[in-house]
Amino acid sequence: MLLFRSEEHVNRWCLDRNLPRRPIINLQQLWQLALAWYENRLTVDSRRPDPDEIDAIFARLGLTDPFWNPRATRIG
Amino acid sequence: MRPVVARVDWDRAKTHGENMMDFDIAVKMHVYRTIAATTRAPTIAQVAQTLECTVEEVEEAFQRLFKKRLLVLEPDTSEIRMAPPFSAVETSFRVLVDGESYFANCVWDALGVAAALKRDVDVAATCGDCGQPMSMQVRRGAVVPEPWAVHFAVPAAHWWDDIVFT
Repeated sequence: MLLFRSEEHVNRWCLDRNLPRRPIINLQQLWQLALAWYENRLTVDSRRPDPDEIDAIFARLGLTDPFWNPRATRIG
Repeated sequence: MRPVVARVDWDRAKTHGENMMDFDIAVKMHVYRTIAATTRAPTIAQVAQTLECTVEEVEEAFQRLFKKRLLVLEPDTSEIRMAPPFSAVETSFRVLVDGESYFANCVWDALGVAAALKRDVDVAATCGDCGQPMSMQVRRGAVVPEPWAVHFAVPAAHWWDDIVFT
């Protein structure tokens, strides 16, 4: 995932590479993801969230599109 | 460098399956605490020396930690490429913490360094499109608002198909 100055820059990047435009999130949402994934990473019990936990984290942030489903086999 | 983890009872670990997990935790903690303290990932040889075990035991632990998605290894050497959110190689996401430079694997991991270290950070990055310098800051446990856009090119189910690209 990459950082862009604006949505227009995202659109241009996708167009230049003939890639589909995928979801965009803002910095506040990204910070919440960073906390959910890494807040305890330096502790003994740290681990990557499992798929159910990932579902819950994304849902809490309003990221409910199938794109965010860690088990999805096809994305439109 | 001073060892950053307690000794593990290796004889017991070798005869009790459950203690293999203890060894993996010791390796994980050594790797992560070393990066946090020095900004650099330890080599396989350094981990083996510090934990007083063999290189082969560390390599096997690295593989198990890779399967748990806690490490990403270089394909040719099996050394650490990523200990998310930290990158063992230079990237375009530099995270400054009290004058020390860490590297993150992506924009998410750049803020992840702040989350893991629980410190204020300044992230120096570039726009994925135009290459212009950009910055992000975390202060007192919150990200400083900026109008930037974060784009995910790969669906969540496929992030680990090619995690370096993701």
